[in-house]
Amino acid sequence: MTTALHLVAGLDFNTLPQQLVNGLLLGAIYALIALGYTMVYGVLKLINFAHGEVYMLGGYVALFVSYYLGFRPDKVGPTHSSIWNLLIMLVACMVICSLVGVAIERFAYRPMRSHSRIASLITAIGVSLLLQYGGALFLPNSPPPSISELVNPYHGQSKDFTLVAPPASLKATVDSLKPASDLAAANYKSWLDSHPGADTYNLPKDGDALKHAAQDAKGKYEDAQHKLDTGGVRLIIQTGQAVMLISTIVLMGALTYMVLFTKRGRAMRAVSHDFDSASLMGVNVNSIVLFTFILGSSLAGAGAMMTATFLGTPLTTFYGLVPGVKAFTAAVLGGIGNIPGAVLGGLLMGMAENLVVWAGYSNYRDAIAFVVLIIVLLFRPGGLLGSSKVEKV
Amino acid sequence: MRPAPTAAGNTATGNTIVVGMVSSLNGDLKPWGDDSAKGGQLAVEEFNKMNPDGIGGKKIDFRIADSNSKPEQGKSAAEKLMSDGAVAIIGEVASGITAQMAKAAFDKGVPVIAVGATRTDLTDIGTNVFRVCYTDAFQGPVMAKFAYDELSKKKAAIITDIKQPYSVGLSQSFKDAFVKAGGTIVDEESYNSGDTQFSGQLTKVKAANPDVIFMSGYFNETGPLARQARDQGIGMDVPLLGGDGWDSREILNSGGAAILGSFFCNHYNNKETRPEVTDFLKKWKAKYGTEPGTTMGALGYDGTMLTLQSLKAAKGPDSKDLIDALENTENFPGVSGSISLKGMGGSPHKRALVVELTKDGQVFRKAYEWNDIYPATAAPNTP
Repeated sequence: MTTALHLVAGLDFNTLPQQLVNGLLLGAIYALIALGYTMVYGVLKLINFAHGEVYMLGGYVALFVSYYLGFRPDKVGPTHSSIWNLLIMLVACMVICSLVGVAIERFAYRPMRSHSRIASLITAIGVSLLLQYGGALFLPNSPPPSISELVNPYHGQSKDFTLVAPPASLKATVDSLKPASDLAAANYKSWLDSHPGADTYNLPKDGDALKHAAQDAKGKYEDAQHKLDTGGVRLIIQTGQAVMLISTIVLMGALTYMVLFTKRGRAMRAVSHDFDSASLMGVNVNSIVLFTFILGSSLAGAGAMMTATFLGTPLTTFYGLVPGVKAFTAAVLGGIGNIPGAVLGGLLMGMAENLVVWAGYSNYRDAIAFVVLIIVLLFRPGGLLGSSKVEKV
Repeated sequence: MRPAPTAAGNTATGNTIVVGMVSSLNGDLKPWGDDSAKGGQLAVEEFNKMNPDGIGGKKIDFRIADSNSKPEQGKSAAEKLMSDGAVAIIGEVASGITAQMAKAAFDKGVPVIAVGATRTDLTDIGTNVFRVCYTDAFQGPVMAKFAYDELSKKKAAIITDIKQPYSVGLSQSFKDAFVKAGGTIVDEESYNSGDTQFSGQLTKVKAANPDVIFMSGYFNETGPLARQARDQGIGMDVPLLGGDGWDSREILNSGGAAILGSFFCNHYNNKETRPEVTDFLKKWKAKYGTEPGTTMGALGYDGTMLTLQSLKAAKGPDSKDLIDALENTENFPGVSGSISLKGMGGSPHKRALVVELTKDGQVFRKAYEWNDIYPATAAPNTP
């Protein structure tokens, strides 16, 4: 046995690049959802707890659109998909989620706006529960459906980057084990051919011995292959996930442009700065609030469509619960109300979660987000990029 | 030693006997909860047909309460049923919920007949706790034996859902048995139910070069786990193994091509040819139109039928006599196999089936009897 140089203090540095990429991909989705929380908070000083449920509905919209496109689990549909299908799903999710966001604002939050902030907060929790449990009455959730992997034209495709090649000796080992494996497999196959109808899980003694010999030889060969596979430093990026990351960056870029360089964006920043003064200056506050909900909800819809399609998670009406909590934490971490802060917070959380796993403590994966949050809030109560104002009592 | 409840329990008054069932009619476990409730209703219908006069002139009043897949709500549902006079509580499909119900029922002296709760130490709560399924102390070793003996796999990685007591217990029993058989555990990772992204854990698993991966969680996360495992470059030559938590049609869809060729342990299979099974399927189809989607249909039926038959055999229509009658169950012909509870500490020695996931659904591969795994009479859960 040679000492593994990449193993320092139990940490496998060969997998670090892959883990950082994993963290980036995870963080990008957190960031996308966190933007919705942070924008609504910026404008209304309201924590929109129903945001996670808008995300959940986005997942369902993606599911229904994929059904409409023919990718149903119960019957044979198209076997090939194209990027246009993904675009249709994305646009449908964004449009319908923004409509849902607008409806929530119009019917749940606006009537409460003149009341105390705690009333709005409770309303938000109420809307969240309404969508979770009310949605269960109408949306298919038993068994929890998931989007067919076939709708993703990139399923099974990945880009493989070898950063450091594995030692040549490993390749030699693989080659040396192949003949034995092939021979044992051939022996077992010829026995099976001479015993048609044999139950391969309940074989007589002679067949069983051949089966085990074949499996053992194959196992050794495969193990050598695995070692060759993981011997160097490799980076595997799913094409689908790369598409997901690029779309996320494009959406964030579009958002930044809208907020910083358009008239509506300027009005939005004005409302966020001072709600009452902005309305006195002639800004149509209601339309700006609606605009904010449209932006936030459509980003959540996009995020849901991408996770549901590329990761294959079954949908229930609680689909938005965990991502919602995580994204909210990310928004607070970055400084709630601050748009770059939400992105930073999301990425930081994604990275932190994957680095904890990398260090071998996957059972603390969820805890780390909150540990980071507590540490940051101890030193910067307003979050990383937020400004903390002392509230007068 | 299991403590005996000191409270007297409920006694049926008037001309009905209230029998309660707690089931996950909403939430994550809904597919199982629905089937368990359907199985229960079917059993009550059957029992009423066979006993038109009820038990001693008292009719069965079967009530189903929703636990929402949550332990706290399962507990309050059980408490509600008991305060309504239920002499027995049937359910739940998951261990975490059943444990809470069983503790509440222990204080009242009411028997709990768990449907699909496999966590091994569950029945240690008290002599009022029974189940109709096998335990994790059995299915973990079954999968370990299958992996080591039938698949000749020597290096396993384990992925556990640490939020689920079921998954934690099952991983432990698999690990113990696999190591005892001579295999090594090369990596152990965990996640929480509700997570959607597992690439971090899977990157670590891949780096450890396992030749088999045991995923002890529920199907909701297993499908995406399988898909993402293949995406991370863990080849199809590394089969995935799991417990009865995988049992749902949906796993084939959420796992896609990635889950094909995986094996898991189950209580019962719709394609079995035993007369109990064919008879049960005929009745189920007549009532609900389709075949049960999960095994909880059969287990819910067995749990309810066992309770009703024991109630009939009991000295009186009260919780205490019912506990005695349940404890004396011998060779009850369940749909999921024969059930004997006498001297078993609440957990029967059931058989387990290993099934493979293929394009055409679950294919039965190998059955294991209790003696195949524990040849000696000493069983880990006999008191």
